[in-house]
Amino acid sequence: MEHIEKQMTAQESLELITAMIREAKTGIRQKSFYFLLWGWVVVLAYLGGYVLLSVGYDKPYLTWLITFPAMIISFFYGSRVQKKSGPATRLETIMMWAWVAFVITILIFIAFGREVNYHLNALILIASALPTFISGIVLRFRPMILGAVVFWIAGIVCFLITYDWQLLVGAVAVALGYLVPGYLLKRDEGL
Amino acid sequence: MTMFKDLDPVLHSQLRLAVMSLLITEKTASFVFLKEKTRSTAGNLSVQLEKLAEAGYIAIEKSFKGKKPLTTATITKTGIRAFEEYVERLRQYIDRQ
Repeated sequence: MEHIEKQMTAQESLELITAMIREAKTGIRQKSFYFLLWGWVVVLAYLGGYVLLSVGYDKPYLTWLITFPAMIISFFYGSRVQKKSGPATRLETIMMWAWVAFVITILIFIAFGREVNYHLNALILIASALPTFISGIVLRFRPMILGAVVFWIAGIVCFLITYDWQLLVGAVAVALGYLVPGYLLKRDEGL
Repeated sequence: MTMFKDLDPVLHSQLRLAVMSLLITEKTASFVFLKEKTRSTAGNLSVQLEKLAEAGYIAIEKSFKGKKPLTTATITKTGIRAFEEYVERLRQYIDRQ
């Protein structure tokens, strides 16, 4: 911004307003990375679990260990983006905390898995709907809102089916809930 | 040139208008956020924020985050009304042309 104030024309004023409002929203973009990373990680964890279960391995849930490196990658990517594009906007902050709240929620579910009769797949899918829905509203991105609806439906379905099928339903739900909106978002970001 | 007489002089200034446009979206923003998004200098931004606060368009709050001083600006209802009025006048002016 210039030090010396020059007289602006009406057009310049409007352009400045538009540019600043866009500036406040720029951070909101570049979010496809997280959806693609987590989409693939969770799909692989689900499918890997299904394969391990099929071959008779007794600890198919070990595939979820793949989420730890994904967390580290997300953290470093987030701090790099923050350094590059400046402080987070209000909407970005809302989105970030919605995902943090989601992680806290699923950790509680996992810790008390026995109390909920190990209906973890159903509960985690239903919990996934919430931050996905909020992100869809913040990004004004309908595919993500529909993704959240898929999570709600998949969660209900998982209450009604056996464990092996839950893994397949989970993989499909994550492909539709994260990967499809993620790739569509990435396409839009490139524009 | 009649347009400039009608326009709010507090808002019709590059940096002040930029700050108000950001606050319309953000409602509240830190000094660092405003400085980076408007690409202004700290000195200039402080002066312009003071002017906006004097007009009652924003409220400035100074606090501490740990040991670091944290200044935040929040748009007021008067500020929102003034900004809407400013945009409306700009639109009328452009329509007349």
